Amino acid sequence: MTSPLSSHRQVRRVPTQTFWVKIFHWINIISLILMITSGLQIYNANPVLGGREGWQFPDLFLLGGWLAGGRHWHFAAMWLYSLNLLGYGLYVFATRRWQRRFASSADLQALQKSPNLKRKNLAWHRLVYTAIIPILLLAILSGLAMFKPAQLHWLAALFGNWQTLRTIHFLSVPLVLLFTVAHSLLALKVGSIRLIQSMFL
Amino acid sequence: MGLILPKHFLSRRQLLQLSGFSGANLFLGGCGSSLFSDTVGQLVEPLNQRIEELLLTQKPVPEYPVSAIEPDKLLINTFDFAPEIDPTTFRLTIDGEVSRPLQLSMTDIQKLPLTSMVIRHVCVEGWAAIVQWGGVRLRDLVALVQPKSNVRYAYFKSADGYYESWDIASALHPQTLMAYKKNGQPLSVDYGAPLRLASPVKLGYKQSKWVTQIKLVSTLLPAKGYWEDQGYEWFAGL
Repeated sequence: MTSPLSSHRQVRRVPTQTFWVKIFHWINIISLILMITSGLQIYNANPVLGGREGWQFPDLFLLGGWLAGGRHWHFAAMWLYSLNLLGYGLYVFATRRWQRRFASSADLQALQKSPNLKRKNLAWHRLVYTAIIPILLLAILSGLAMFKPAQLHWLAALFGNWQTLRTIHFLSVPLVLLFTVAHSLLALKVGSIRLIQSMFL
Repeated sequence: MGLILPKHFLSRRQLLQLSGFSGANLFLGGCGSSLFSDTVGQLVEPLNQRIEELLLTQKPVPEYPVSAIEPDKLLINTFDFAPEIDPTTFRLTIDGEVSRPLQLSMTDIQKLPLTSMVIRHVCVEGWAAIVQWGGVRLRDLVALVQPKSNVRYAYFKSADGYYESWDIASALHPQTLMAYKKNGQPLSVDYGAPLRLASPVKLGYKQSKWVTQIKLVSTLLPAKGYWEDQGYEWFAGL
């Protein structure tokens, strides 16, 4: 009964995202689904792990119907995926977003020293979504190296032999899936459902 | 060279056997997605092909040392059967829009300068192998028949019924060979004896085995190649 009205009017900051960031996030999700499902279709033609006798992914996760169809989807969606990422990169630099929105040394310090659990979770969240950027770029570079190994031989050579190159490209699938789980859980922890809504709606 | 069969054929049958699932839904599902992927290919392939043409130069692709050869990795793919050809009666026909059509025996071909290269052979299925090919440059053979200036494509007919077509720039690439040697040995039947295409700038299914005829033409025919006519991309540049 002593609680004053003002405590109910306490200003709670509602998380917001800019229009462009929401667009990038949506296109990234859609293009990654297309890239992964068509990529697994290609994988099945000659499994990276085990070759012709290797385990194959079930039809449920595949796109394209057969190898040729999987390739058509993969080499169409690659444009959507990489141009979207390029657009995001330009946006991040033009708006100087990279100075504020990505993991920094302050986050690393918080992880080591901060007694504040909320601050630690935020640091993890920023660290995880920052770390996915190089993984997304590595998927493009290793993909290009396999797509044009003769004309981009210098790029293919960076990855060592063919099996290493294929394995690195394929690893982007489990890494992206793992990231999706960690990113969703951390986002929920840091900003609850309101943060999720701010990115999707 | 050559490829696996359309995938949904096999897996659909296996799935039906395993689950006793109603076939209609799976059949329509498989067909639908395959048809739609043809549309996606038709939409984007012209752009991808344009970029592949821009990337292609007549500069040789860097080669590997002989010690890098992977003799066990080159898998054998054929769409049908491996034809036995008597190399003594074999003739390679080179004709089309040319001034001097020719028929060459293996002895004629082996008198021409031998080019040897260690390159990476890449299959559309995803595997690759470092192989040494030895043979005559296709550009040397083309020069012999004196093509008309409007020639833009090369067609390849094989003894097993396989057929392919290439853009002329890739056909004239200095590392595009009509090969009769593999890893220092005479080519065996399974790998395309007596004469096959070999090149670092195209995917494996472009590299016809058992080639009997090369036709130089100015227009691309509706029949572009065995796998291309079933939905694989035509340019298939590396």
